[in-house]
Amino acid sequence: MPKKPVIRAQDLIVGYGGAPVCAPVTFTLAAGKVVALVGANGSGKSTVLRAVIGLLEPSGGTLRVFDNPVDERDVAFRTKVASVLDDDAYFPALTVSEHLYLTARGHGVHGAQEVVAGLLAEFGLTDHARSLPVALSSGQRRRLLLAAGFVRPRSLLVLDEPEQRLDRAMRDRLASRIVAEKEAGGAVLLATHDPDLLRAVADRAVHVADDVTRLLPTDQAADLISRENP
Amino acid sequence: MTTTDHDDEPEVQPFEVGEVPSAKSIRRFTSQAANSRGGATIGSLLGGVYYAVISIAISVAVALGAAQAMRASLPEAPDVEAPLQLSLATLVVVIIVALAGALLSLAGRLGPVGAGGAEAAWWLALPVDRRGLLRPAARRLPLLAGFVAAILVALLDAGLLADPGLRVARVATTAALVAVGIVLLAAVGQSAGVSRRSLALAGDVLLFLAPVAAVVLARVGWSVDEVPGAPWWFVVGLVPVVAALAVVVDRRLGRIPSRTLRESGSVATQAVGAVVSMDSRELGRALTDGAAAPVRRWLSPLTTARGPASALVTADLVVLRRSARHVVQLVVAALVPVLVSTVPQLASPIGVLFAVLIAGSVAMSATGEGARRAEMAPILDRLLPLEAKTVRRLRMVVPAAAMLLWSLVAFAAVGRWASDVPGWIALGIASTPVWAAAAVRGSYRPAPDWGGALVSTPMGALPTGVATVLARGPDLVILCLLPVWIAVLLRTVNAPLLYAQIVLSIIAVAIASSIRTRSLMESLMDAQEQERAARR
Repeated sequence: MPKKPVIRAQDLIVGYGGAPVCAPVTFTLAAGKVVALVGANGSGKSTVLRAVIGLLEPSGGTLRVFDNPVDERDVAFRTKVASVLDDDAYFPALTVSEHLYLTARGHGVHGAQEVVAGLLAEFGLTDHARSLPVALSSGQRRRLLLAAGFVRPRSLLVLDEPEQRLDRAMRDRLASRIVAEKEAGGAVLLATHDPDLLRAVADRAVHVADDVTRLLPTDQAADLISRENP
Repeated sequence: MTTTDHDDEPEVQPFEVGEVPSAKSIRRFTSQAANSRGGATIGSLLGGVYYAVISIAISVAVALGAAQAMRASLPEAPDVEAPLQLSLATLVVVIIVALAGALLSLAGRLGPVGAGGAEAAWWLALPVDRRGLLRPAARRLPLLAGFVAAILVALLDAGLLADPGLRVARVATTAALVAVGIVLLAAVGQSAGVSRRSLALAGDVLLFLAPVAAVVLARVGWSVDEVPGAPWWFVVGLVPVVAALAVVVDRRLGRIPSRTLRESGSVATQAVGAVVSMDSRELGRALTDGAAAPVRRWLSPLTTARGPASALVTADLVVLRRSARHVVQLVVAALVPVLVSTVPQLASPIGVLFAVLIAGSVAMSATGEGARRAEMAPILDRLLPLEAKTVRRLRMVVPAAAMLLWSLVAFAAVGRWASDVPGWIALGIASTPVWAAAAVRGSYRPAPDWGGALVSTPMGALPTGVATVLARGPDLVILCLLPVWIAVLLRTVNAPLLYAQIVLSIIAVAIASSIRTRSLMESLMDAQEQERAARR
């Protein structure tokens, strides 16, 4: 019997105060796959992601994650779903490594110190492990957020434009990480404007727009992004 | 990297996972890390707590003393019944009801339970018991509300009505319990999915109805001789009710969705930041935006917009009309002088003067929303082909219209008190431009200057840069309404005062039209500095 998809969105309508921000969205995401949302700025990609992780109630359509309606109040949901949005908020008195340690320990990770040390090295933050967030550059803070997404167990990883504020080398490393994620059986839903990242990691793309949303092959979506962002 | 099958879903976990820690340990870890870098010793912490407690105690004692002194100066209520009269006790009841409405409105706008930026981003995603994470935040607002309510009602009861000590304690305890209960009820509503907007609206309606009901009571001649004091059995009975509410809230904390907690936390953080930095404009924005409808059900056709000038005025009018809080503020402020002038003990020249000054300032601040928005986003003013000074003048149109309505009600009441309604209405109309000018001047004031000189006072250092900035707007009210204040103190309006008011109104409009951001004194000092530099 085929496994149920991790995410199933059918004519999903998202918006604010009942006003949709994009055309209804339909897609499925299976375990071990990566689906990318592409589209112009303000097209509604992040809003769809926020609905998937429970930060926004859908205005219509169907959205099921792990075959259940989205409810982030459910501990099981929070255990399985990791997300990295553009939340630039940090505890001012906690260091970089303490933020990661808090996340790891909060998920019950054994040997959290070692796990954190490994991720600090992977995301180029070892030298800043004892720094407070205020001392980090914008790109370093972005890497901290990304590391926090990988420092905990997960079945679904949701990333909102993870390439933002990263240099080319770090984008390549991130792409490798996402590929490893899907090879390990994880599902990844991301929004992106980077055609290279899209080609490297995504199995399918969903073009989100005002008039109609459609599923696209990865190459076609990458070309579309390149045309939109020459 | 390994994969494990858990509930049929592959879980990516390149590490061993054990038991999830308690929420308390998460909170403790965060606070311990913060404390270790705070640089504060136990001694300095205790010292801070000591000074805070002493300061609050002194402030309460001073306020109590002032209220009692005021009560001692109040005349006895006359035996003769006037046609429109309200007892002091009735007014106190009305104030208490209005305060309850204001508290519900505030609790609704602030959440009342929320999680600020870092907590929302780093705590709410953890699979720990959310109730444990939110418990301290859920306690904060009810306790603060209870404390403030106890002091306010004690001041009203002991100060204005001079009731004996034990009764004051009972009334203050009742007030505290009711205030805690109101905030807890708002929290129950929040956990049940009631929107912040609905909770705030319920509070606004109560706030609106309180003075309206008082005017109706004064009209029909119904008053109470003393504030109905709750007996001790009632106070004791309130305790389990409030405790039960607290338990319900605690049990339902985990039901509040993350999005609601984030929104509430964001508003509360913005509001606290505004209070700490003494930025009343930012506080107003936080409280207004916190309960704003995300999408308008109707779009204004802007039919009165025929050109840039009328477009700007129309936009200001739409902004004011869409803010229920400001409309309620205007109506309530208009009724304050009406009520004060009908209470024999308060209807002295000083009492009426304070009523007009405070109510006028409250109403004035409600009318400047368009200008405040424009100050926050200067591009709004630059979009139209109008001179900056013209924009300032046009921004006074809506405040002037709103304050004209306020003046007609407030000054008619003062006129009835002074037995010369037409004269006082004329003075009210003549003074309207000053209120409008003050609203616009206050809206366009620069951000508080924390880099200015500090003046040492017995109450601590006073940042003069902040005080100078905050005085912009209220300074016009005090200085350019001098004829009104003199007329109230003399209880009469005459032609010289009316003419003086017209002249001062013109001056106030001219001052508020100025686009200079620095004061006259600062400009003179700048000029002096430039002169010195040129000589060198």
